[in-house]
Amino acid sequence: MSRPMRDFTQGELDWRSWLAPVDLVSATPEQFAALKITPSNRTVGAYSLVLAHDPEVLEQRSPLYNGIMFGAKGLPRAERELGAVAASRINGCAYCASVHAKRFTELTKAPEVMARIQADGVSAKLHPRQKAILDYAAKLTRDPAAIGPADAAPLRAQGLGDLEILDLTHAVAMFAWANRLMQTLGEATTPAREGNPL
Amino acid sequence: MSDVMDTLAELMPGSPLFELRRQRADVVKHLQGSDDAIFSPADDGGLTRAERAAAGLRVATLLRDPELSEHYRARLVALDSGGSLAKTVEGGARITEGRWDAVLAHVDLVTRGPGSAERKDIDNLLAAGLSSHAVVSLSQLIAYVNFQSRVLAGLRMLKGGA
Repeated sequence: MSRPMRDFTQGELDWRSWLAPVDLVSATPEQFAALKITPSNRTVGAYSLVLAHDPEVLEQRSPLYNGIMFGAKGLPRAERELGAVAASRINGCAYCASVHAKRFTELTKAPEVMARIQADGVSAKLHPRQKAILDYAAKLTRDPAAIGPADAAPLRAQGLGDLEILDLTHAVAMFAWANRLMQTLGEATTPAREGNPL
Repeated sequence: MSDVMDTLAELMPGSPLFELRRQRADVVKHLQGSDDAIFSPADDGGLTRAERAAAGLRVATLLRDPELSEHYRARLVALDSGGSLAKTVEGGARITEGRWDAVLAHVDLVTRGPGSAERKDIDNLLAAGLSSHAVVSLSQLIAYVNFQSRVLAGLRMLKGGA
């Protein structure tokens, strides 16, 4: 049996919905289209099946997410993941933080960065460019009304241009969205393992 | 063509920031598409357009964003001419209707403290009569306006520093 999990971890987590997901047996054509399900691809997670209750939004949100996190050029993908991790830490989304910490480390091959954030949160000691990204991400996540023109200066001082700052803003904002869905439509759980009573 | 974010950030077509946004054409397209799907859905799942505008206004008010609040207030006024929903969101009117009370409580919870949400919060919405579709629509709406406010803050920052 899987157990609820609210602590931050670099390990693998699952996600369990609090709302009955869409049943593919009775799903509408709109729901199939939004889930991008084809006869050859029917593997869909619980999270997507819950969001499929509103296929109109899901159909837009998936390409929006991909454009923000994977769009060519601009801010390196790893630094978008860093913004995602910062937002997820502050919002307390253990599931999102673990998934995106892992992506960051895969992209950078620098496990010490996420190890430091795992230990010390958004106040972790980092390279100045990473620190500037983390500080902006934290402030934007906590209180967008507190952001002013002066907040761009530390990012520019670390070499971020307008497109990079826009990309970072989009990534952090996307996790104001994603964290809220993940945290309020269900919960992170530790994976159930064969022979493990926990 | 200007979209909702250009209007909110007051970006004129041809201005540097307007053109900067167009370097992310997929983001521009699907951000507007999300806005349309959330506030003007073809199938509202039982959460009306007026209720959606009112919930958006509540999020913008909680985030202390006057321009974003005005945007949703104008949308709400157009949909709720009697102004009864607006009063429950902003005017301190007593909420006596259980379903709408549950919706507003959820808006506040998901905006301010998503980390303290529990299964019972979803159960409360279902018990108040919302369909699964409406619960997901409401969740997407609250999360989207939280996203939108942060994109707007970043655009204003870039605009102010130009």
